[in-house]
Amino acid sequence: MRYLQRAGRRSLPGRQARLATAAILAATALAACGGGDDGGGGGAEAASGAKAPATIPDLTDDPLTLSFIWFEWPPAQALEDFANAEYTKERPNVTIEVNTVPNANWHDAMFTQFAAKQTDFDIPILDSQHIGEAVTNGNILDLTDFVDENIDVDAYDPYLLAAYGQYPQAETGQRDEDASLYGLPLLGDTWTMIYRKDLIGDEPPKTWDEMIDAAQKCQDENPGVSGLAFHQANGSDAAAVTYNTVNGIYGGNLWNAEDKTIEGVINDEAGQKAMDVLVNEMKPLTAKGSGNWFIDEVNAAVAQGKACIAFQWIAAAGGLVDPAQSTLGTTEDEILDKLGFATLPTQDADVVPLGGMGMHISAYAPADRQAEALNFMKWFEQEDIQKKWAAAGGVPARTDALESPEFLEAGPFNQVYADSVSRMRDMWNVPEYAQLIDIENTNVNAALNGAKDPEQALDDIAEQQQQVLDSDGGGL
Amino acid sequence: MVAGCELTAMTTTTDHPVQEASAASPPAPGRSPRLTDRRLAVLFISPAMLLLLTMSVFPLLWALYLSFTDYSATRDVPADFVGFQNYADVLTSPQVWQRALTTLVYVTGAVALQTVLGFGIAYLISRRTRGRGVLTTLFLVPMMLSPVVVGLFWKFMLDAQFGVINSMLGSLGFGQVEWLTRQRTALISLIVVDTWQWTPFIMLIALAGLTAVPKYLYEAASIDRASEWFRFRHITLPMVWPLLLIAVMFRAIEAFRLFDLVYILTSGGPGVSTETLSFHVYKVAFLGFNTGLASAYGILMVLVVIVLAQFYLRYLNKLKEG
Repeated sequence: MRYLQRAGRRSLPGRQARLATAAILAATALAACGGGDDGGGGGAEAASGAKAPATIPDLTDDPLTLSFIWFEWPPAQALEDFANAEYTKERPNVTIEVNTVPNANWHDAMFTQFAAKQTDFDIPILDSQHIGEAVTNGNILDLTDFVDENIDVDAYDPYLLAAYGQYPQAETGQRDEDASLYGLPLLGDTWTMIYRKDLIGDEPPKTWDEMIDAAQKCQDENPGVSGLAFHQANGSDAAAVTYNTVNGIYGGNLWNAEDKTIEGVINDEAGQKAMDVLVNEMKPLTAKGSGNWFIDEVNAAVAQGKACIAFQWIAAAGGLVDPAQSTLGTTEDEILDKLGFATLPTQDADVVPLGGMGMHISAYAPADRQAEALNFMKWFEQEDIQKKWAAAGGVPARTDALESPEFLEAGPFNQVYADSVSRMRDMWNVPEYAQLIDIENTNVNAALNGAKDPEQALDDIAEQQQQVLDSDGGGL
Repeated sequence: MVAGCELTAMTTTTDHPVQEASAASPPAPGRSPRLTDRRLAVLFISPAMLLLLTMSVFPLLWALYLSFTDYSATRDVPADFVGFQNYADVLTSPQVWQRALTTLVYVTGAVALQTVLGFGIAYLISRRTRGRGVLTTLFLVPMMLSPVVVGLFWKFMLDAQFGVINSMLGSLGFGQVEWLTRQRTALISLIVVDTWQWTPFIMLIALAGLTAVPKYLYEAASIDRASEWFRFRHITLPMVWPLLLIAVMFRAIEAFRLFDLVYILTSGGPGVSTETLSFHVYKVAFLGFNTGLASAYGILMVLVVIVLAQFYLRYLNKLKEG
């Protein structure tokens, strides 16, 4: 047996095989090390932060597909339908494709392609908090000169323009006109409070404490109906946004942006109060097993009449007034007799979460598609197009479009958005965002589901997030 | 990949006589004299070798290299050599040890349950003479499904509010169970779903072993009036045991790198209580994009599996020799 094994080994083409193996490994290594630099238009310059031209380059007349990447939800289909119906009137050779991935994969789907320096999308729709990571790594074009030349910046609430494009991040409610812009608003969003008018009355609660009392009373009086429904899942940014919202309402802060301090800020007295309210006062009013609920589950609870008060992103609330998806009525009017939409109650402070996303341009897209993307952005940000986008179900960012009847009459929750713009607050948009949000999500989710003491969870968030910032995203 | 390595290791010992014979023989009549059998053999295996080198060996070696650097796939800065720092960071992290414990509990629970159930089902099926083929095929259906699909429909079934499991429990007079959102039940749910999908694998291998037990042994035992338990304890189990242990090894390796079910069913929650090692590596690699650190983490996981598998294989060999 031993002899045969040795003989067998000898029968292999020893030297040739070793040489071939070495050659293949060397070639593969070279390919792996050198890949990507010759990728599309601005690829080579991207690492140092490629700039989009101030004027739109010549556009091609050949058939062209402009690809977006977003996550799977109703506005994605609305955008594709709207753009193909309207943009093709101006550019008939262009087809718009809005490719979607599950929400939980959204960040990874974009940034793994950015890491490869080759993207199958031209316009990534980034969450406002993704901007820092994309800018620092040179993944998206600097649009500052293009915006100066082509966009009427005075037509926007300054903070909306800053939130979806500016880096370094703007202070809440402001825009730094000297800072660079890397994106333009696509879809504005914030939370709306959805309440059962037939169960708690026509007038929505004005303060957070009143809201909890109303939910408790409603739950007690209506067996089978939960007092509250809100996002608690540990995927995406679900549980973290919930805590951040309550934190803001009770006067807390997520961090001190100037000196990048989180420890002692998020877990200060206001922060602890917010966590206590969330876990010990709000959570007991939710349905059993709702600890992994996100957008769809909250919508289902409202549509099936299982919640007195719910909190939801406005852009995801459209289905709630669709009789085909609701058990609350057979017509939209019947549903609206039972459902009310209001801005979030206040308490110690008057803030609401900033949602929504901006359009950006991949630094690795071919030059002709980068040019088309710039043209699309300029077209999209016009007043009449923004109003049409509003009528098609989108949430515009221009003030004139926000105040237009096209927007305000398009949905029962649109007035809520218009009233909330001046109250918005965002999270951090630093390069370490994905790690920060994961830390917060898992800890808040643990506290909500009894896997961790609430106070301990908040202290852990502060400690772990501070470590991430201090190590520039390194470590476990 | 580790399972693949083991398979390769297990299948490289038998073909040498054939190779040796063919290498020595002259080319067949009508073939170019330059195309010897040996060259022909090289020609045939080279596509597979090429695939193996580029898709398995190279990525492994590249990951090994990256594991000694602070490389990040997204940050546009060159990688610096950091020696064994990444390995030290992984091995001394309480977070990693917490995930290791979760993984250990999961692997032990899932594989033990699957082995008992799989062997039990195989034993019962082996005693039937009619409908054996149909039953075996039916039991194999879960194994043929994608884990993501399995995860998605179990997520619906286990939903505390709308799921069919709680609905059935309710009709039997039990209260609602929060299957996926409580620390203990979430891990148990993962074990149950994995068991539902992979018990057929153990069953299939056990069935092969049971079918191979020579009938004359049972006939001899019957003549000696041996009891059912005696026949099981002294004939069936010893004959099937080595094959069962190999199935257990494969399942343990698979379970050790569990990712998809966790991702779909619990996202590692509540909190991080169902985060396995693979899920944690994914977070390090794709949320923080700490590629060097994630590479070290992955290499350590491969090493753990290889070392444990080697011990296990030695035990199997001893069992065989005994």
